[in-house]
Amino acid sequence: MITFEGAGKRYPDGTVAVDQLDLKIPSGRTTVLVGSSGSGKTTALRMINRMVEPTQGTVAIDGTDVRSRDPVLLRRSIGYVIQQAGLFPHRTAVDNIATVPLLLGWPKARARARARELMELVGLEPGQGRRYPHQLSGGQQQRVGVARALAADPPILLMDEPFSAVDPLVRAGLQDELLRLQAELHKTIVFVTHDIDEAVKLGDTIAVLRPGGRLAQVDTPERLLAEPVDEFVAGFIGYDRGVRRLSFFPARDLPLRSDIVLSAETTAEQARSVAAASGQPWLFVVDKDRRPIGWIGSAGLAGEEGPRPLGTMGVIGYGHGFTVSTDSLRAALDAAVLSPAGGAVGVDTDGTVIGVVTQSDLGAAIWPLGDAGGVLAATSDNG
Amino acid sequence: MGEGTTASRAADAVAAVAEVWDWTAANLDDPIGPKLLEHAQLSFTSVLLGLLIALPLGLAGARWRPLYPPMLTGVNVLYAVPSLALFFLLLPYTGFSPWTAIIPLALYTLAILVPNVVDGLNQVPDHVRQAAAAMGFGPLRRLLQVELPIALPVIVAGLRVASVATISMVSVASLVGLGGLGQLILTHGFKRNFPAPVIVGIILSVALAFLADAVLVALQRWLTPWARGRESGATTTRNRHIARAAVARSRKATT
Repeated sequence: MITFEGAGKRYPDGTVAVDQLDLKIPSGRTTVLVGSSGSGKTTALRMINRMVEPTQGTVAIDGTDVRSRDPVLLRRSIGYVIQQAGLFPHRTAVDNIATVPLLLGWPKARARARARELMELVGLEPGQGRRYPHQLSGGQQQRVGVARALAADPPILLMDEPFSAVDPLVRAGLQDELLRLQAELHKTIVFVTHDIDEAVKLGDTIAVLRPGGRLAQVDTPERLLAEPVDEFVAGFIGYDRGVRRLSFFPARDLPLRSDIVLSAETTAEQARSVAAASGQPWLFVVDKDRRPIGWIGSAGLAGEEGPRPLGTMGVIGYGHGFTVSTDSLRAALDAAVLSPAGGAVGVDTDGTVIGVVTQSDLGAAIWPLGDAGGVLAATSDNG
Repeated sequence: MGEGTTASRAADAVAAVAEVWDWTAANLDDPIGPKLLEHAQLSFTSVLLGLLIALPLGLAGARWRPLYPPMLTGVNVLYAVPSLALFFLLLPYTGFSPWTAIIPLALYTLAILVPNVVDGLNQVPDHVRQAAAAMGFGPLRRLLQVELPIALPVIVAGLRVASVATISMVSVASLVGLGGLGQLILTHGFKRNFPAPVIVGIILSVALAFLADAVLVALQRWLTPWARGRESGATTTRNRHIARAAVARSRKATT
């Protein structure tokens, strides 16, 4: 447990970076400090390993004031991942990762062996160990950065906007990787970001800081999205928090319809009768392996000759599907929004179509959630 | 101009080359060999001493920024003092010992080396420096294991310029009876109105400069394998920039 008690940092010129921070960071969980620039989140993070000394109050780890410990030794016991990775350009990936074990006096062979172990853990190829940082991509550099922070197996991991300098696709991959690592390692992670999406995705707890370094709200991601304490927090998390909150509800409970999913060999005549029987204006076409092809409207079907198979007609793209077993309502809603037919295609993990959710069924599933938390209503008020 | 003139010029040139060759063959063991060695020793010692002074000065200049501008002015003013004056100024203290040549030459290298040490240390990226602190490097260890190694390419770029400049300047010390190859040029050649030693002195001096540069390039490649293949990188571009600036500075000062 890391405890901030009335911790503050005031610089000699009078600037207050952090003001009277009271915060308990539980062990084995991920706590995200989020805020815009100037909210003191990085300063607060650096108080933990004494990169910044508080000018008032205390920061304690498991009840021991950090100021009672030698800063150099303290830092070797805390992992640190910095923005842009901060790798040593003159050392290979393996030697970068072995940094802290070597500082702790491990024999070189043992430190290198440990470094190779960690490369595997963070998903790097063994051959990349001999490369220098500039020979690695941005994403690989960050993986080396994370491995370096974990090398001496510290119980605490401080991460200062570690993924903000890489492109969104790589960032998403690194975030998934961190979630996977944390599920395995159970470190006390303190993660700083200005990206509320990242905070919601990674945090067990989120602490929102306002400019001037004051704590605005500490809550679980779900509660933060459902009940922001004030206008500042609501504004900071954005006016699509209602939609974002849907990430906490699984898509597997959505009613999937397979009666309006037809194979490409189905004739126009058969399809017309399905459309008439179901009352649905859109039907979904799949190939012989049940992989998605696209939507076809009943209006388009009307003019076709009876025996013509659906596969030879022009279908309308479906955007993307959602994976029924693992995705959230947010993914399903997004799939529906991107589809011209207004429905979302639910697929299995192997990509085959299980069924489709119609616009009205999706609406019926989402609306009560908004009502229960008052989220959707509150959203329209704020807008 | 007639053909006769051209022919006689060609004959003169052949005769001159033959003369240089004969003189070299006859004087290889003395004075050419010892003077070449002396030239190399004087240059090497001066640059080494310069580096030993420039390192702490550069460290101080990089750490305490307000210190750097006056320091830079200081080493530039030193560079502006005519070398001959410095040699004579030192004569009463150091006599005709090599130090009379080495001390001024070492002081001159500071104008090139100090800015390069400072620039080299300043271009260590801030996130790297902070990461080192956060990993638990103490200040001294951070300097020796992180900052200096990363600054090395820029420092070596300065050493290359300083070596070449020093090798060309050692000759001036022949005016006070030192100066290696400069003595071939001055005592054996110029004073006797005999061109062969002058030509040999110039050729060997240039060759020595090339050799020193090649050795430093090889040394840098060996010490900084990580900097290879970064040719398009900002660091290397910056090195060239710094080296070029230093060359310009040394040219200005020697003319």
